[in-house]
Amino acid sequence: MRKRSMLVVAGAVALVASLIVGPAATAKSERQAAGTVVIGHDQEPVTLNNLITEGNAYTTSLVTNVVLAGGSIYNQNAKLVPYLFNGPAKLVKSNPLTVSFAYKANAAWSDGRQVTGADFLATYRTIMNPNWDITSREGWEDIASVKVKGKNVTVTFKKGKSYAAWDALVASSPYPAHKMAGKNFNDLYRESLDVSSGPFKFSSWQKGTQLVLVKNTAFKAGKPAKVDRVVFRYIPSTPSLFQALQSGEIQVTEPQPQLQIVDIRKNSKFNVQSGPGYFYEHMDIQFGPKGHPALKQRYVRQALITGINRAQIRQALYVTPGLVASAKSLPVLQSLIFKPFEEPYQPNWAKFGFNQQKAINILKGKGCTGGPAKPTANNSDIWSCPGVGKLSFRFTTTSGNQLRALTFEVAQKQLKSVGIELVPRFGPAGTVFGQVLPSGDWDIFMFTWLGGPTSSATSFGLYGCGGDQNYMNYCNKKASDMYKTAQFTPDPVKRAQILNQAEKIMVNDVPSVPMYVRPGFLINSTGVKGPVLNPTQQGSTWNAELWSTSN
Amino acid sequence: MLIYIVRRLLYSVVVLIAASFIIFSFVSLSNDPLAFLKMQPNASEQTIENITKRKHLDQSIPVQYVYWAKDAITNQFGTTTIGNRPILPDLTRVMGHTLQLVIAAEILAILVAVIIGVYSALRQYSMFDYTATTFSFVGLATPVFWLALMLQVLFVNIYLWFDVRIFYTASLSGVDPGSGLHFVLDRAQHLGLPIIVLMAASVATYSRYMRASMLEVVNSDYVRTARAKGVSERGVTMRHAFRNALIPLVTIVALNFGGLLGGVVVTETVFALDGMGLYFVTQLQLGDPYPVMAWLMVTATLVIVFNLIADIAYGFLDPRVRYD
Repeated sequence: MRKRSMLVVAGAVALVASLIVGPAATAKSERQAAGTVVIGHDQEPVTLNNLITEGNAYTTSLVTNVVLAGGSIYNQNAKLVPYLFNGPAKLVKSNPLTVSFAYKANAAWSDGRQVTGADFLATYRTIMNPNWDITSREGWEDIASVKVKGKNVTVTFKKGKSYAAWDALVASSPYPAHKMAGKNFNDLYRESLDVSSGPFKFSSWQKGTQLVLVKNTAFKAGKPAKVDRVVFRYIPSTPSLFQALQSGEIQVTEPQPQLQIVDIRKNSKFNVQSGPGYFYEHMDIQFGPKGHPALKQRYVRQALITGINRAQIRQALYVTPGLVASAKSLPVLQSLIFKPFEEPYQPNWAKFGFNQQKAINILKGKGCTGGPAKPTANNSDIWSCPGVGKLSFRFTTTSGNQLRALTFEVAQKQLKSVGIELVPRFGPAGTVFGQVLPSGDWDIFMFTWLGGPTSSATSFGLYGCGGDQNYMNYCNKKASDMYKTAQFTPDPVKRAQILNQAEKIMVNDVPSVPMYVRPGFLINSTGVKGPVLNPTQQGSTWNAELWSTSN
Repeated sequence: MLIYIVRRLLYSVVVLIAASFIIFSFVSLSNDPLAFLKMQPNASEQTIENITKRKHLDQSIPVQYVYWAKDAITNQFGTTTIGNRPILPDLTRVMGHTLQLVIAAEILAILVAVIIGVYSALRQYSMFDYTATTFSFVGLATPVFWLALMLQVLFVNIYLWFDVRIFYTASLSGVDPGSGLHFVLDRAQHLGLPIIVLMAASVATYSRYMRASMLEVVNSDYVRTARAKGVSERGVTMRHAFRNALIPLVTIVALNFGGLLGGVVVTETVFALDGMGLYFVTQLQLGDPYPVMAWLMVTATLVIVFNLIADIAYGFLDPRVRYD
């Protein structure tokens, strides 16, 4: 009897095992249809409307950029190249700034309608409608008029409001006028996207798991997609993302900087691309009444930046672990305005090289006392300076970020050896960004600015006197005026000159310590040809129509 | 019994209200749901103002709580702060996924644990008993995230070495899950590893309870009496001992089940399963009190209900227990 029972149990186990293992044995990644590329991403879009606040995320752009195509798009060198436009947008007049552009004759929506200037006009009106939760109206609010004639558009800006990044603004993806009319824009495209002007169109969205785009056969304005489908799989845990990549469940991913990348680099089945992006890490210094009085002294700030070995921090975070191929590919950031790969980039902050003895001499020369005579690793003497007290500063940043924690540890040790103390004040991102940063109740704050190719034009907001996001309360009237001028200088060459001049003035004040540009990574299995890293918000799917698969 | 249930439910309402206010206050105080938006260069002041007004973010916490309570009761948990998106559809979806995972894991865990527990008790101090005890402690001591990651690594390597995919490492279903039996198999391959992870801890706990309970019963007077009456050993074990030994396990399972339905945060995060736990973590990171509160109310209600079910079941199964 007992034997029979055991046989029954064994039989049941064998049945279950065969049900799972049997078919599973044939369930290889190749089961996916040929011409399908699976992209793994750690964040899922909330909506497919990337103009409104909840859709304002990189993950949304990855999907929508290939569905709602732009007039021009940023290529891998962050240069605007015409896409739905029949050529670059033209500067007709400087004051009032007037620009014109035209959509290609074969630019059409997937439902057969033409992409025309009416779509641009409808998009402009939608963005300016105060009822909708539009993330940013910057530049759009400077437009005085939009004149449309079929596929041709002329945009005139308000007098004296020559919006500098006009070329990027008019190149924005036009939304379909015929689909938006009479709709609540906050709810539009929340679950699906029923029309396309790009090489792919929306197919399905299994929330929490995957989103599927299929080839838009009606797309004639550019090269047709080579693959049938692009599938976005959402895997929030980075280690799991790497496991999924190795086991062929996903083929392309843009991971956060992780040590697993080093292993993947050694694996011949994968291509790893890395390069600096537009997000940059920096330490801001508080000039307001709630900040440390010592930091209002320029010599203290100069000693601070001189005492930090920024190259070593970059080395420890990215180069030594092997995350980036070499130090050359991730230079120390020497400008808060431009990125190292941008043409107008000038190493304005390079004058503050790492020199611990110099930092000590600066403080000693200003009558500070109690600090070390020479930099030593085990120093515990902290300087006190006349009228401003002990050089012990609160260092605020987000908790739970390993790279920031490591940056703090290295900077803390370096500064301690010259007699400057950093006291950690870490907190959750929501708290430090939502409450602490705007309150000005901090001494030094390390965080990342999420920039883009047009960010330099709007530097006034960050570094101008009274700028919206000048949380440092820093003000240098001369530099501020120049930043304001640059904001309304449409000529990019002239604008870059003004910005570099303004930054050279700002550098002497040391309101901030530029650290490094956060590198971006793009990994693809060798079975997928074509992915190229793009440092802009255009993202890795910017050329998805050129991708091909060998499966 | 009815009075007891009504009394417990009334107490529960008070607990729910108190818990909801405390959690709402903590979430609202510790996070600004507009923080990320405010960090965007050149974010629209108009939009920030619109959202602030819509969700009364400029009001005091108690006032915000009253607005939330009204929204939760009259508008199915209301809408998210950013985006004004209805919360209930998302919550219903993730609840369904968690149910699939937890029910499968618990049924299998109970089956395995009961077999191990009963056999260990009947063969007390045998090699099997010692082995089961050792593995139970290993199961209890193993961190869930570690086991999950190790299983992922193991099955990825099995795939790489043998080109055979037994289980997937992430997500609820494949790119093309198909339908019918194909869908069921695809789901089984995706839920396989998370189920094993959940089972590990549950089997360890349940088997210890089952063993202890069974040992207590097999040595009791009525079992000895049954044997003396000439009942077969199988009859004694199954009819007299096993049924009575199940009573404590039922209580433990019911209590555990209620908690698990709130989401298995680590397991769901590691395996990218769109369930209650992952939903909670994601919303908490966004700092939006509305979805967090919706999750809390559902979870708290489930815990209360399953606690009540455990108590009632105990009364039904054990005639000695009476509720006044």
